[in-house]
Amino acid sequence: MNEDEFRRLCEFIYRRTGMVFTEAKRYYVERRMADRMLATGSTSFASYFARLRSDVRGEVEQFINAFTVNETYFYREDHQLQCLSADLLPRRILRPRANKTIRIWSVPCSTGEEPYSIAIWLLENWPQADAYEIEILGSDIDTRVLDAARAGLFGRRALMRLSADLIAKYFEQTDAEHWRLIDDLRQSISFSPVNLVEAAETRAHGAFDVIFCRNVLIYFDDASRRTAAENLYENLLPGGFICLGHSESMSRISPLFDVCRYSDAIVYQRPMERADG
Amino acid sequence: MPLVRKSTAAVDAPPADVEELKTALASSRPDERWQAARALIDMPGGIALLGAGLATEADIRVREVIFSGIARTATPEGAALLLQLLRSEDASLRSGALDALAAMPADMLAGRLPELLYDEDPDVRLLACELARGMPSEDATQLMADLLERESEPNVCAATMDVLAEIGGPQALPVLQRSAERFASSPFLAFAIEIAVKRIKTTLDSGR
Amino acid sequence: MADVTGKRILVVDDASLIRLYYRQALEAAGFTVEEALNGLEAIEKLLLEPVDLVIVDVNMPRMDGMTFLKTLRRQGSPIVAIPALVTSTEAAPQDLDAARAAGANFYLVKPLAQDVLVQYVRLMCGISA
Ligand SMILES: C[S@@+](CC[C@H](N)C(=O)[O-])C[C@H]1O[C@@H](n2cnc3c(N)ncnc32)[C@H](O)[C@@H]1O
Repeated sequence: MNEDEFRRLCEFIYRRTGMVFTEAKRYYVERRMADRMLATGSTSFASYFARLRSDVRGEVEQFINAFTVNETYFYREDHQLQCLSADLLPRRILRPRANKTIRIWSVPCSTGEEPYSIAIWLLENWPQADAYEIEILGSDIDTRVLDAARAGLFGRRALMRLSADLIAKYFEQTDAEHWRLIDDLRQSISFSPVNLVEAAETRAHGAFDVIFCRNVLIYFDDASRRTAAENLYENLLPGGFICLGHSESMSRISPLFDVCRYSDAIVYQRPMERADG
Repeated sequence: MPLVRKSTAAVDAPPADVEELKTALASSRPDERWQAARALIDMPGGIALLGAGLATEADIRVREVIFSGIARTATPEGAALLLQLLRSEDASLRSGALDALAAMPADMLAGRLPELLYDEDPDVRLLACELARGMPSEDATQLMADLLERESEPNVCAATMDVLAEIGGPQALPVLQRSAERFASSPFLAFAIEIAVKRIKTTLDSGR
Repeated sequence: MADVTGKRILVVDDASLIRLYYRQALEAAGFTVEEALNGLEAIEKLLLEPVDLVIVDVNMPRMDGMTFLKTLRRQGSPIVAIPALVTSTEAAPQDLDAARAAGANFYLVKPLAQDVLVQYVRLMCGISA
C-alpha cells in the first residue's frame, strides 16, 4: 500500500467509524488489510477498497473486527469502572433521590462478563454500596449469549484480568478450565433481550443512572446509530451517564449528550432538565 | 448484598394523540418538545408540523431528533423539506438538513442530485457535492467530473476535488488535468487537483 | 514574544483536502496539528487536550462552525477562551457578523493560500514575525 492509498483508506475509515490511524500505525494497518484482502480474494487495493466502500457481505464490520479486540472479558477497560465508582456514582447520589435504588444497564452485555464485572467492582470498590440498592441489568439482542450469561460459566481467558483473591471470592471452579459465578451474584442480576434500535423495546427497560454501551455502535450505520442514541437518551435519568467503548465517540453520532471529562474516562451525560434559555 | 432485582417501571411512551403532541411541541420545556418531536414524525401530518417548528426551534437536541426522524422515515415529503432547508441562512439548519439527506437511502436522492448540482445558488451546489460522496464511485465520479468541467466558483470546484480524491475513478482524470490549467493561480486548488490526480492514479496502478 | 515551539492547532473541517493543506503549511511552520471532522468532535478533543488556536469551517456535518463556537464559549476553563479563526466560503457581511457574535476572533474567506494562513495563525498565537 502506498502513501496515497493509505490516506484514502484512512479517510474512509475515519468518516465511517471515527477510528484514526496515523502514519505511525501504517505497518499495522497494512498487515490487517493484507489479511482482509486474502480472506476476500481481493487482488488489488482498488478492488478491496471498492468492496469495503460498498460494504459487500458486511466487510466494514469484518474490517473493524480486524482492528479491535472482540473478546469480552472480566474487568475489560477497567478505567471506566474506576470512573464509575470514583466520579459517576458520587455525582448521582449528590442530589436527594426519590428512592434508594441505583440502576445500571449493560447493553449489549454479550455473555455477561460486563454486568458481572460492574457488580464485582462496586462490591469491592464503592464504599457506599451498602447504603443503596443497586440494580444491574444486562441486555443483548442475541438470546443465546443471554442464556450463557445466566448460566455464568466462564473459561480461563475470561478471568485473566481478575486476581486470584477475587476469583476465589466470587467463583467456584467446576473443572480444570471452568469457573462458575457464585449463586448469590448470578441471581442478583437480570438479563433480557433488547434491540437497541427499537424504541418500544428499550423503553420497557425503564430509566437508568448509568448505561454502559460498549463496542456495538461502531458497527451500526449512521441512521441506526442516531436512533440508538435517541433511545438511550430516553433510558437515562436527567443527569445520567453513558459510557462507550474506547474506540467509540458519541460526538461522532449525536449532539444529544454533553461530554464530560473525568480523570479516568470520557463519558457522556444527559443534561439536567432545563427550561429554555 | 446490596444488589437487587426488581420489576421496573418502563419509560413513558409519548402520547399518541396529534393534538396533544402539537401542544407539547410548543412547550417551554425542551425535553417535552424533544419527546413530542420524536413521536410526531410517525404521525399523519407530522412532518409538516415539524418542518414548521424547525425554523423557530433553538434547542439543538430537538433539532437533531427532528432531522434524524426525517432521515429514518425517508419519505418524499421529508426529502423535499430537507432540500428546501439547504437554502437556509442558518448554518445549523443547513448542516442538519445535509446530514439527514446523506443518511437517506441513496436511491431517494440519486434522482434529485443532478438538479441540485445545477442549482443557481453556489452554496447549494457545494452542499450537493457532499451528497455525492455517498454514491457508488462510478456515479459520483461522473457527477463530480461534469460539475467541475462547467463550474466557475472555486469553492464548489474544491468540493468536487475533495470527493474525487476520496472515491474518484479514472474517468475524472482528463477533467482534473484540464482544470489544473484553469486554477494554476490558486495555490489551494492547484494542491487539491494534484492530490486528487495522484490518488486516483495510484489506485489505478495498483488495480492493474 | 512567544515562539512557535509546542504550539498546538486544531483544524476543524470536514473537507479532507483542506485539513491536509492546512496541516502541511502549519507543520512546515513548526506547529503541531490536530484534526476534527465537525464541531462535536472538536469539543471532545479539546476537553481531552486544549490547544492554542482552533481553525474552524462553517458548514460541517453534525455540528456546524457557529454552533461549535457558541458551545465552546459556554464551556468552562481551560477551553472557553481558546482563540478561534473561522475560515469559510461565505463572504457576505452578515456571515462575518454571525461569526463574530458566535465567538470568532478572526475570519478569513476561502480558498486560502498557505502563507496567508500561516501569517494569521502566527499573529493569533502571539508570535512575532
Ligand atoms: C462486541 S460485543 C460487545 C460486548 C461488551 N459490551 C463488551 O464491550 O465487551 C457486541 C454485542 O452487541 C450485540 N448486538 C448487536 N446488535 C445489537 C442490537 N441492535 N441491539 C442490541 N445488541 C446488539 C451482539 O449480540 C453482541 O453480543
